Amino acid sequence: MAEVVTRQFVPASQAAVKDAQLRQALRRAGTGFDGTRREAIEEVSPEVWEEWREEARRIKEHTIGHLDYYLEMLERNVTAAGGTVHFAVDAQQANAIVSQIARANNVQTVTKSKSMVSEELGLNHTLEAQEIDVFETDLGEYIIQLADETPSHLVAPALHKTRGQVAQLFADQLGVPYTEDIEEMARIARVALRQKFLDADMGISGANFLVAETGSLVIITNEGNGRLCTSAPRVHVGLAGMEKVIPSLQDLAVFLRLLPRSATGQRITSYMSMVTGPRRDEDEDGPEEFHLVIVDNGRSRLLADPALRESLYCIRCGACLNVCPVYQRVGGHAYGWVYPGPIGSIVTPGLVGLGQAKDLPNASTLCGACRDACPVQINIPRMLLHLRHNIAEGPESYRDAGSDTGSLLARGFAAIMSSPRLLGVGRKIGRRLLAPMAKGGVLGQSRIPLVSRWTRSRDLPVPAPRSFSEIWRDELSGKGPTGLQD
Amino acid sequence: MGIPFNRDSGRGVDSLGIPSEQFRETVRAALGRQDGPPSEPYSALTHNLTDIEAQAQTVRERIARETPELLDRLAATAGLRGWNVHRCDGAEEALGYVTSLVQTLGASSVARSEQAVFDSMPVDAAIAGAGGLCWPAVYEGPASRTGVRQRLAESGMGITGADYAIAETGSVVVLPRRGLSRLVSVVPPVHVAIVRPSDVVGTLDDLFALRRLEYVRNGGDMGSYLNFITGPSRTADIEQTIVVGVHGPREVHMVLLNEE
Amino acid sequence: MTLPQPTRASLFVTCIVDQLYPEVGVSVVRVLRRAGVAVDFPDGQTCCGQPLYNSGYVSEARKLAERTLDILSDKEYVVVPSGSCGAMMRVFYLDLFANDPELLARAKDLSQRVYEFTEFLVDVVGYESTPVEPATDDRPERGSAVAYHPSCHLLREMEVTNAPQRLLDAAPGVDRVELPDAEQCCGFGGTFAVKYPHISEEMLADKVAAATSSGADTLTACDMGCLMHIGGAVSRQKLPFQVRHIAQVLDGSAG
Ligand code: SF4
Repeated sequence: MAEVVTRQFVPASQAAVKDAQLRQALRRAGTGFDGTRREAIEEVSPEVWEEWREEARRIKEHTIGHLDYYLEMLERNVTAAGGTVHFAVDAQQANAIVSQIARANNVQTVTKSKSMVSEELGLNHTLEAQEIDVFETDLGEYIIQLADETPSHLVAPALHKTRGQVAQLFADQLGVPYTEDIEEMARIARVALRQKFLDADMGISGANFLVAETGSLVIITNEGNGRLCTSAPRVHVGLAGMEKVIPSLQDLAVFLRLLPRSATGQRITSYMSMVTGPRRDEDEDGPEEFHLVIVDNGRSRLLADPALRESLYCIRCGACLNVCPVYQRVGGHAYGWVYPGPIGSIVTPGLVGLGQAKDLPNASTLCGACRDACPVQINIPRMLLHLRHNIAEGPESYRDAGSDTGSLLARGFAAIMSSPRLLGVGRKIGRRLLAPMAKGGVLGQSRIPLVSRWTRSRDLPVPAPRSFSEIWRDELSGKGPTGLQD
Repeated sequence: MGIPFNRDSGRGVDSLGIPSEQFRETVRAALGRQDGPPSEPYSALTHNLTDIEAQAQTVRERIARETPELLDRLAATAGLRGWNVHRCDGAEEALGYVTSLVQTLGASSVARSEQAVFDSMPVDAAIAGAGGLCWPAVYEGPASRTGVRQRLAESGMGITGADYAIAETGSVVVLPRRGLSRLVSVVPPVHVAIVRPSDVVGTLDDLFALRRLEYVRNGGDMGSYLNFITGPSRTADIEQTIVVGVHGPREVHMVLLNEE
Repeated sequence: MTLPQPTRASLFVTCIVDQLYPEVGVSVVRVLRRAGVAVDFPDGQTCCGQPLYNSGYVSEARKLAERTLDILSDKEYVVVPSGSCGAMMRVFYLDLFANDPELLARAKDLSQRVYEFTEFLVDVVGYESTPVEPATDDRPERGSAVAYHPSCHLLREMEVTNAPQRLLDAAPGVDRVELPDAEQCCGFGGTFAVKYPHISEEMLADKVAAATSSGADTLTACDMGCLMHIGGAVSRQKLPFQVRHIAQVLDGSAG
């Protein structure tokens, strides 16, 4: 499995907010993607958009609610089409399955089109350790493979890189003359990968959708690499999280409308490819073998919790990242694992364990922009709250040095707020302590623990001399509509 | 860790990993549900051939009624999605357009599929007249595989027909099979798709309703591949700047026939 | 002939206003009364439990929520000058008591009766058509250029999308100016602001920059939490605009 550094969220995000290049890259992507997404919604009208979201949500709700049934249907139909379905409980097993398929077919070279699941598995390193050459072929994935990094966004893996950084990377790694001309850089990638496509023994792809009734794998791409990876090599391996199933061919239409518009604002992507089994005997080309690897890797934990189940409705469009004020400041890598942003803050704890990803659900203002943007109406803030609850009041294993202070403060707060009298006393004490330090009614930079984390950049008001309750009692109560005390 | 082998599938390739029943049992346990189909049958999954026929028939009748408008809509949408749309009144005009493209590009090698659309459109001869060579990208047994691929990689243009074209999205849909290589529309840097009025459908829903009927009729065979092509290959992976022609064609032309 | 009964509103003033910004509560009462509303102030109210709920302390939050349910039972309309406390009572109490049928029924009942202050004025009282009293000699002139920040929970949980703007637009002497990227979160988020100050501050900086560039002399919102956050930066950086709750702007008092 890919390395988990979710515990590093605080230092990583502290470094990220100071990284001017990253900020510039995030700003460009955020406003760009989200701007075109909004235009696309206006174009179809917000009412129609809502209908689509409702329909997509209904489909996902139904399918995930009967996932065992549809997985069985899918397996039956992939098999009937001549393909093979493999089920993997975890990353290790999934990697072993792909390795074994590669060995059985004497594979030396693999071309890959984008797959977040393979990032999750850390598949490239597994294959490379067996002396298999693996080439990422999506331009963004190619860039981060050359840089030996991980994706920082669900649909734009190299979003964090500026053109200058890519230019330097290409010059260093490919020995080409340094150029910042983006068109030229795309051409360099085309040339570097062209022959690989035609020579590769095995193609690996992700899956945007799996259609149960026909046994089809659907991928949605723009560059054409997905078409080449699924057409040219002798063997095609599709990797998919188990939640990717939809029942029928006819369910696909609404997702083809929602996904590209939500992802980049595109009305439709350049390509949609639907793979059903290996090539038929009479076909001109296509792989001799088709394998579909269905991965759990922690998803059944999300499924088992009714409060988190809807995280499996996600179609990985990235819209929630593009509108998230936190993601927009810290970027994808700070989240410390494969899935960043609002949905990552739910999926990552689900897959790697909440105990080591406690910052992710907490690092949100719960502003709700993600939920409004989500094409399947996933209520991300509500799930974040649920995870916060699990952390604060859940098992011992989630507790750490700060936990006791946290629950002590919470209990203290609840006790004071349960008694108007205590609250009044508390305010007076607070005022007596703080007022002498205040200037113009506010506290400037203070060294009081915790308070200092606020006042390092923001003045803090001190408790008022009289509470509103007192003012009401003394001056405002008992007055009718016209009884103004002006 | 060794991986258990489960059983033989039809093609002699073994399923690896955990047995599917065990996997599904985990899923069922997580859902807290019993084995069995959904209690409410899922409407989009009806397998009643009469229903599907009726649905497809309604779609076909509507398309037939609306064909002129659909052609206009297809042309407009396809243009917005990056196709160079050229509407033609007949085969002759279409061939004229294709040969002028070949000349402009200076393409000496032009690959094409073997599809019915070319029966009434002698594209080989027309391109030969323009000094190019148009050849059918079909494999003659496995030995020709590498040869055809190398030739495709060197071709300046690929020409195909369309199995469908979708007015809603501006997409050309191809179903690769005997005579229609998967690669002829993706490997050469320019792709030309010939679209006939009878190929046109209105919406994604139309397309899937029709395909679903074919699927059920064929006793459950989808064919191995179905591809939507909508405009040129493109990327925005570096600084969100759009570049066309990454791994697929940089230039795509839709030759849209106004009549069969 | 009998006069129509005045609408009666029970004010839930929120703990932050009660303890830190009582003048906001006074403005709320004055504006409501001026709109012909009979205001009462249920005894014993403190905090709705939202800070605890948002930090995951659900069982502690329940205690405060239950208290609040008691205090606000049988009130016709509950008016809250805060989108986030309003959202807590209207939306999140339902989650909080999802497993307790009796309390859930009471939470549902409250959720029908609870209104954010501006929402109440527009949707229940129909106040927008009644301009507020013009400024008089003994009351200072209203701030002229006012930018409105739609706080997140008001906008996306309570779905109050235009009542505040309509009130501001109808208020004499108030010239509403557009706030760039208005719907972006200010970075407060309750404990988020102290747990992750480095992220919160980045968001705050953008909000403050947007307010500055709007040319407003007053930035307003319907939540004192967000305004305490934004105002904290404005006062620290001595920026040339003031930060006031919308009740204060509508009241026209100097605050
Ligand atoms: S949670 Fe929703 S918005 Fe976010 S990536 Fe998934 S589908 Fe897209």
